[in-house]
Amino acid sequence: MPKVVLQATGLKKSFASPNGPLAVLRAVDLVVHAGESISIRGSSGSGKTTLLQLLGGLETPEGGEVFINQVEQGLVTPRKLLGHGVGFVFQNYQLMPELTALENVVLAAKIIGRSQVEGKARELLQLVGLGDRLRHLPSQLSGGECQRVAIARALINEPAVILADEPTGNLDETTGKEVMKLLLEVVAQRQTALVLVTHSREFAEKASRRLVLAGGVLSSA
Amino acid sequence: MVSILGVGLGVAALLVVQTVMNGFGEEHRLRIRESFGDCVVIAKSPIEGPDVLIARLKADPEVISASAYTEGPALARRGAFSGVAFVRGTDPLATDQPVRQYVVAGSFDGLDDGRVILGIGLARTLRVAVGDKIEVWSPVMAEQAEKGKAPLPASLEVCAIVRTGFTEVDDRAAIIPLRRFRELWSLGERAHGVTLRLKDPANAVATAARLNVGKAGLNFIPWQEIKKNFLEAIRFEKTMLFFLMFIITLVASFSIGSTLFSAVIRRTREVGVLVALGAQRWHLVGLFGVQGLLIGALGTALGFLLTWGILYFREGILDLINSLFGNGDMVANVYQFSKVPLHYDAMDFVVAAAFTLIVTTVAGLVPALWAAGRKPSEAMRDA
Repeated sequence: MPKVVLQATGLKKSFASPNGPLAVLRAVDLVVHAGESISIRGSSGSGKTTLLQLLGGLETPEGGEVFINQVEQGLVTPRKLLGHGVGFVFQNYQLMPELTALENVVLAAKIIGRSQVEGKARELLQLVGLGDRLRHLPSQLSGGECQRVAIARALINEPAVILADEPTGNLDETTGKEVMKLLLEVVAQRQTALVLVTHSREFAEKASRRLVLAGGVLSSA
Repeated sequence: MVSILGVGLGVAALLVVQTVMNGFGEEHRLRIRESFGDCVVIAKSPIEGPDVLIARLKADPEVISASAYTEGPALARRGAFSGVAFVRGTDPLATDQPVRQYVVAGSFDGLDDGRVILGIGLARTLRVAVGDKIEVWSPVMAEQAEKGKAPLPASLEVCAIVRTGFTEVDDRAAIIPLRRFRELWSLGERAHGVTLRLKDPANAVATAARLNVGKAGLNFIPWQEIKKNFLEAIRFEKTMLFFLMFIITLVASFSIGSTLFSAVIRRTREVGVLVALGAQRWHLVGLFGVQGLLIGALGTALGFLLTWGILYFREGILDLINSLFGNGDMVANVYQFSKVPLHYDAMDFVVAAAFTLIVTTVAGLVPALWAAGRKPSEAMRDA
């Protein structure tokens, strides 16, 4: 059995609304193993993005716990390990507009104190098919290319798990398919776990495990 | 850029005012010393045989020169115009007569027993110019008249007119030779006091105290004590101006704070992404704090440059102000300075730089702390 790289138990989250607190996640449990790809589907407002943010430590749960596996340190809460154990791929890429493709990838490594990473960043950009676009700014790249940069950026720190939030949401169908194919290929190749939030049934079907978030609870599709 | 300019202008305003105020202070201190001496020796009654005292004082290594003087009020008159003159008897041959440089008409060297040098205010009161004659009535003559004698006033020709910048000197001063004063006041060989020039005028208080030791009946007054209230007023004025300029710099630093704050708001999304990538709180605090520090450093450098530029071209700037507001040459007319005086004090620059750097760094840290405290999910969502 592959080792556990992400473990969430009893996650709860609610948001304020005019009618009082609105529970979005009631008691979410999730275990992700190394190399596994999981898709999470759900209707708009079902809490998919919130769940992903809780898993990645960008939000604090009202109840429950999240742990990211780190071989040397055991299970560690993700907030302490932002950038180390988790890689993010956002729907709207979230690249730094003033930095080139290469600099955007390098930044993710430098920000957690790693140096001498330019070679690896070049390698990753090569891997996602942007070897000839290293010095291009995000404004000079297409949406699909920006998302490829974001995937390279998510991989630079060799995370245990990549959390992808609608990575094809801003792309046309063809580009979306290409990006999704690439994402699945590179995580499989590097034995990186993937948690993919998507509306698309087609993309969700490509994951090794498919889940649905409804009523604040995760269940198998 | 605007923030740097704001800081630069604040620093320049602070330093220009401080440097010019220092200049005015220094110039006034110099005038006081030149008008009254670095140290004045007086006694309750006229000093008998001042030459002995002068010889002893001159032997002191701190004393450059010492000369006797006499002084007293008299009535000065020319035709229908009269005024109270404060007559000072001085040695016309003494080499260090600072009053020489304040002569605006005539010549100091023309001073002899039949001549007088007048302050410009007194000359105006009496409506006299160089070459005119005035009559001087000393108190001794009044005493003689009381006893039934009919003394004649001293008739003196005006050989020079001086303008020192001190109203009380310019409006009343009449300088005649010491010998002539003694004659008119029936003083014999006595003198009212001795003025000293010292090697280190800044140390006049200590030197005066030292010289005073063992000389009972004499009072050594350093120049700092002669016009103490006036010097205190200058110092107070400088402090108040520093306070006002401090507020200007504080206002400039608020503009930095608001600029950095809007920069942080504008970059909310990037801040969120940086946190999502693993940036720690101190990264963001450092990033924006350093930005504040950088603005402060560049603003201070610009401020120094502007200060130098403004002070270098101060005469032209003043001419422009005078021509725009039609005040004439105020510096010359009011202060009798040939140009705007300056005195650079390194401490003013150090204080201004330190203060600016601290304020701008703090102004940068406040929005940085706010940015660092935000949840990355909120930051990315709000952008």
